[in-house]
Amino acid sequence: MNFITAYGHLQENSCAVNGETICRRDKNSGDPWFRQIYKEQEFVYPKFHKMDVLSQAGFLTSELIKRANPQFAGKYKDDEIAMLFANRSGSAETDQKFVHAYQNGTPSPSLFVYTLPNIVMGEIAILNKWYGESLFAVLPAFDAEFYINHCNLLLSAGSEAVLCSWHEIAGNQIDVFTFLIEKEGESRFELTTNTLSKIAFEGNFHKTEINANYYY
Amino acid sequence: MDDLKEELKRQLIEQLNLEEITPADIDDNTLLFSDKGLGLDSIDALELIVLLEKYHGIQVTKPEEGKEVFRSVNSMAEYIRKRQN
Repeated sequence: MNFITAYGHLQENSCAVNGETICRRDKNSGDPWFRQIYKEQEFVYPKFHKMDVLSQAGFLTSELIKRANPQFAGKYKDDEIAMLFANRSGSAETDQKFVHAYQNGTPSPSLFVYTLPNIVMGEIAILNKWYGESLFAVLPAFDAEFYINHCNLLLSAGSEAVLCSWHEIAGNQIDVFTFLIEKEGESRFELTTNTLSKIAFEGNFHKTEINANYYY
Repeated sequence: MDDLKEELKRQLIEQLNLEEITPADIDDNTLLFSDKGLGLDSIDALELIVLLEKYHGIQVTKPEEGKEVFRSVNSMAEYIRKRQN
């Protein structure tokens, strides 16, 4: 049996870890929402400011999950932690910014490197020196079965833990749900479709779901 | 105070999104690509090429010059002056 040992939600106006809100957006702040969280949580990683929004969200949620599960980082070898991410819009947000910059005559190389959605996993891997398996899928909607099937595969083939995320950011819409799967752990959450779906929807995934229905 | 060097420091911070650094943190001789300096990477090197063209109208036509030109704010200022004269 595998377990969900920590999880976090990041949305337009709030950020929660293990179901508890730790940060609310201050609409009067001069800082963008993700930078507000970065400052409030006192992170120190200057590269954060160079990242696109997908990678910033990945940095924030993965670091918050590590804080919520402090023994996690030192528990595994560097190739035993896999990553499994998915979303609906790929890197469209950054792609559009790059096209806009290109059309206005100042294309940015640092923007260009983020025009692939899987770069977020590269950023997390570089920061943590994790060299395990990684997969980023583009799906019409959050699908608990997808994560469970792929986690089972990864955990039966050498991985001991999988950092997963539904990582959807499109315009002002932010639906990020990041969760950690381990073979063993002190957790009341066994990895089942019902449990994962229930935890995922503790956050407010309504917009992604509605948009997904359009595709079906 | 050398206006060009101060301007370059501000441009570096803006172009490279060095949010946690101020111009006062960058010495004229701070190594841009050393971990003992600003710790810039290869993508930042491309951004510096964009910076020279965007703010100073200078195209770096000899890539082999890059290593020396982008060594520090001092070397960048020296290169800009040389190319503008």
